[in-house]
Amino acid sequence: MTTDATSPSPTDGPAEATVSPEAPAGPGSARMGTFRIGCELLRYRPGVFGFCFVCWTLIHATPLVVGLLIGRIFGILADGAEAGFDSAGSPWTWVAAFGALAVARNGLIWIGDIRWIAYWNDQTLQLQRNLLRWLLEADGSRVLRSSPGEAISTFRDDVEDLLEYAENYVDGGGILVYAGGSIAVMASIDAQLTAVLLVPLVFVVGVAQALGPQIRQRRRVMRRATEEVTGLIGETFGAVQAVKLAAAEGPMLDEFARRNEVRRKAALRDTFLTEALLSINTNMSTLSVAIVLLAVAFGDGTSLSVGELVIFLTLLPRLTFYMAFVGHLIAQHRRTGVAFDRMRSLAVDADDLDLLDRTRVPLEGSLGELPPRHRPAGDRLDRLRVEGLSFTYPDDRSDRPTGIDDVSFELASGSFTVLAGRVGAGKTTILRALLGLVPADGDVWWNGRRIDDRASFLVPPRSAYTPQIPRLFSDTLSYNIALRGSDADGDLPVRDAARLAVLDDDLDRLAGGIETVVGARGVKLSGGQIQRSGVARMFATGADLLVFDDLSSALDLHTEAELWTRLFDHRDATCLVVSHRPAALERADQILVVDDGRIVDRGTLSELLQRSPVMVELWTAGRRLPGVEDPAGGG
Amino acid sequence: MTAPSYRATLVAYLGPQRGKVGVLAAVLVATTGLELVVPLFLQRFIDGALAGEAQSVLVAAGVAYLVAGVLKQLFNGVTTYLGADVGWTATNHLREDLAEHLLTLDMGFHTNTTPGEMIERIDGDVTAVAEFLSRFIVRLLGAGLLLIGVIAVAWWQSALMGIAYTAFVVVVLASVWRMRNMAVDAAEEERETSALLYGFIEERLAAIEDIRANGAGRSTMRRFVGVMRDYFFRTCAAWRKRTGFQVTINTIFWSGSALAVALGAWLVTTGRATVGTAYLLYQYVLLIQNPIEQVTRQFSELQKAAGGIVRIDRYRAIGSVLPPGGGRELPDGPLSVGFERVTFSYEEQRILHGLSFELAPGTVLGLLGRTGGGKTTTTRLISRLYDPAGGVVRLGGIDARQVSSASLRRRVGVVPQDVQLFRASVRDNLTFFDHARSDDELLDELDRAGLGSWVRELGLHTELGAGGSGLSAGESQLLAFARVFLQDPGIVILDEPASRLDPATELLVAEAAERLFANRTVVIIAHRLETVRMADEIMVIDGGRIAEHGPRDVLAETPGTRYANLLAAGGGALLEGVTG
Repeated sequence: MTTDATSPSPTDGPAEATVSPEAPAGPGSARMGTFRIGCELLRYRPGVFGFCFVCWTLIHATPLVVGLLIGRIFGILADGAEAGFDSAGSPWTWVAAFGALAVARNGLIWIGDIRWIAYWNDQTLQLQRNLLRWLLEADGSRVLRSSPGEAISTFRDDVEDLLEYAENYVDGGGILVYAGGSIAVMASIDAQLTAVLLVPLVFVVGVAQALGPQIRQRRRVMRRATEEVTGLIGETFGAVQAVKLAAAEGPMLDEFARRNEVRRKAALRDTFLTEALLSINTNMSTLSVAIVLLAVAFGDGTSLSVGELVIFLTLLPRLTFYMAFVGHLIAQHRRTGVAFDRMRSLAVDADDLDLLDRTRVPLEGSLGELPPRHRPAGDRLDRLRVEGLSFTYPDDRSDRPTGIDDVSFELASGSFTVLAGRVGAGKTTILRALLGLVPADGDVWWNGRRIDDRASFLVPPRSAYTPQIPRLFSDTLSYNIALRGSDADGDLPVRDAARLAVLDDDLDRLAGGIETVVGARGVKLSGGQIQRSGVARMFATGADLLVFDDLSSALDLHTEAELWTRLFDHRDATCLVVSHRPAALERADQILVVDDGRIVDRGTLSELLQRSPVMVELWTAGRRLPGVEDPAGGG
Repeated sequence: MTAPSYRATLVAYLGPQRGKVGVLAAVLVATTGLELVVPLFLQRFIDGALAGEAQSVLVAAGVAYLVAGVLKQLFNGVTTYLGADVGWTATNHLREDLAEHLLTLDMGFHTNTTPGEMIERIDGDVTAVAEFLSRFIVRLLGAGLLLIGVIAVAWWQSALMGIAYTAFVVVVLASVWRMRNMAVDAAEEERETSALLYGFIEERLAAIEDIRANGAGRSTMRRFVGVMRDYFFRTCAAWRKRTGFQVTINTIFWSGSALAVALGAWLVTTGRATVGTAYLLYQYVLLIQNPIEQVTRQFSELQKAAGGIVRIDRYRAIGSVLPPGGGRELPDGPLSVGFERVTFSYEEQRILHGLSFELAPGTVLGLLGRTGGGKTTTTRLISRLYDPAGGVVRLGGIDARQVSSASLRRRVGVVPQDVQLFRASVRDNLTFFDHARSDDELLDELDRAGLGSWVRELGLHTELGAGGSGLSAGESQLLAFARVFLQDPGIVILDEPASRLDPATELLVAEAAERLFANRTVVIIAHRLETVRMADEIMVIDGGRIAEHGPRDVLAETPGTRYANLLAAGGGALLEGVTG
């Protein structure tokens, strides 16, 4: 560990850390150096870690004793061969000690390994839990910058990198004991020779350090290539129906093969560098042994006894190997920086301490009840005021989708407000900005109280949201509706929510009823059923403010009519809706006409039809559709 | 548990790389030779020093040690590099084959798996196999050669040494062999739990907005605890087994080296061998310890790989419930569609009860009926995502099951309810990463479809975000239209094309649709009457039966038909469909 403390490379500090322009470190968030990260990791379960540390220190240090024993044995043998064993003494005690030590060391390995395995898995889950929790629970807006398939690689591989780093600390103590001890032993035999031998040993550490930045670079390239591969697998199988229907298996597989090849090349470059490093290290070991041999040869064979020579020969290879490990430690130190940077960029603006939170993963015991939602008096929605909401999507997503600019409006309790506008006008973005799903500028007041963090404030029981395409999980329908897991205070029972969302007929038809397992992302359900499950999920929260994006899109006429009816019967809620359905427009207390990211007009339908060209266009485009007008006359 | 098909896997994936494998083998032999020689120089040196031989002899031994050692390491590096090269090439092929196979499986399979699981299968499992191919084989062969060499040198030195080494090596190999399958099952279980873990995470990452905006973060994290516990205990159990295996081998080894030292000491004290030979004896145990340790370490990898191969075999054994298509080709031009007493069930639930109808080529059919009535199933039978349980579906007069799947996919185009998009450029989304056509060719074709200007405005090389974010739902729909245009099918299935579009886009879609419908047979799933405006015929499906089927204008003008009733019920307010 001394190595880490004394040789922090200048590249590990905050200066080098890449802060992406759209993800500035939040106020007060301190970016840790790799060494600090390591220390935080070790503090997760210090008892277990300490135990492993002691075990592995003993395991790594025993070969030092072995070297001395072997030297002793061969010294006796050499003396005995020359002068007879009566004067040289018996080697058997030492042989027995050697055997005993060997058995003891294996026992330690067994114990140390079992404990370390549990620690490793525990800490893996700790880090994954921290990441997922930050993405799902932390205040502020969370936008995934890569596909879920790519993000998985951070959960899996980068976390593993950090664990390997922690492992280095477990090994580090014993390795330093061995290195220090063996250098001391050799120096006590022949100080001058030992000084010469330090040259290749230091060289080994130096090489590892010098190659460090390259290793970091190659590792990054390799990871990116792996992400590209896993990302494509995820995308392909996420859209497998489209791929099959378009008979696009061939081109998709070609693309997969192309990305595989890129990854193979990156992996080979990584292997090459690693092997080059290993070769240098091993050759330095060979060289140092050769130096000892030649020193003995040129010193007329008198400078070292055979026993001492054997001590050198026994200690040197492992010493070089351990020096290489020290170099590797430095390299790993750098790699860990890469891994942690990637965790940072996944969990945008998380404080490092959030990612390294030491709360134990609850591997046993009951979890207790979910705490009830806290709701202060006077919190029920009376009036929601939105002022100056603006948001521009970052440049790296090209010029789409439309941002929004200076959007202001008010919602009164129990009112029904419709956002209307052309495709790409920014309607969905307004909803997402309001709810804090994207980090937008502007202010929102809840009953006259300004909301600091919309993302954590505008949640049940205050507000609930159904996106255009609700995402379901491979679990039961009832779990998908009651995401909170139980009927918490203020929540609607699952069945009531399902009924409100006109899912009751479907429940009768589904083999497992409300406990039907819906398949990955709900694929076993029809589009309409998925959408209504999302609506039921929103109703189940019993929230004051219901925000939904084009509720009626995948529903047939009858079902949609029923849904609107039940919704209007359930009008204790305040609704903010994206819709172009005449039913919604006609019933709306206010319509906000959105065009090019701005609210260009507002009012009731009849008012707007008199003065808003956009509204007139939207309305007449809907009315003009043939096949509706003409047979209607016949009916 | 059936034995994993190591050999079949090896032959299939290493065979094509014979050349490289040959070079690898040659270098491996050379490395082994050098490994054996290096300790002999040490023996020579010690005996020489003790015997007080000339300085030049000692210097020569020292220099020889250095040269042989450096060469050995060089060859070692080459071996590893070549091994990695061969391994990556082989496993990339394995990945591709597996991906191809999984893509051929029916939708029934895919609805029960998550994309995260597929990543774990195609990448995670295969990476374990990659370790096996790129390292284990090389090390195993190297260790084998070395063992033979060590035994040979031992016999050459003395019969006693030969016997001792032979006995020792037999014990080591027998133990390794006995325990080889010890942790395979556990390793497989470990991989399975990890697929569940990452599947869970992946689904949640895809649903961040749903979870956050509905305040479900905390409860989701509680759900995660169960998944984590399962992962923890099963993974630890598997690892414990593997550690037990390794420690056993190690113990045998260290006992072996203690015995070697004891044997050497006995030989020297009884005057049967020189000190240098005793040292050689000890060195050779160390020499074989390293590769055997590596092999046993790789045995954990092998066990992981075995788990991976078992799983890969199992996935390969899954056939598509849909038998592969026959050899017949669908004719060009618009195709007729015929259903003959078609029945279909899903999970023991009868969805279609003997559907029979006939569509002439070029007909545009509007399918109406309530959700869950069987409309989607009907179209999926046409696009052959399913086969009927009874009866026959005919396309262009040919039983769909007899049509080659390539021909069927080319000739039946689908605009799905839920447009699935990739995190890739607009171009890649349109062509599914097909690079055969140039940008200009693509745009020309899209111009003919009337979508050229729209795509130009969007930008062919604009990158779409994850899940197609960056496009509105309406634009996604248009993109799906463009996909079908490029495919140029004879039958088009449209699943609710008007959904989620605002009227202005609906017009753009309508124009594109009109072009697409020209000279094609079309089935539109329409939940709304306005979608049906272009239909020649109307069919109402209810409860898995045809409630009504006929020309649209006839149905509209015949009082008492469902279609006429629908129109009447809606009347002037049809568009809103809510007042009732």
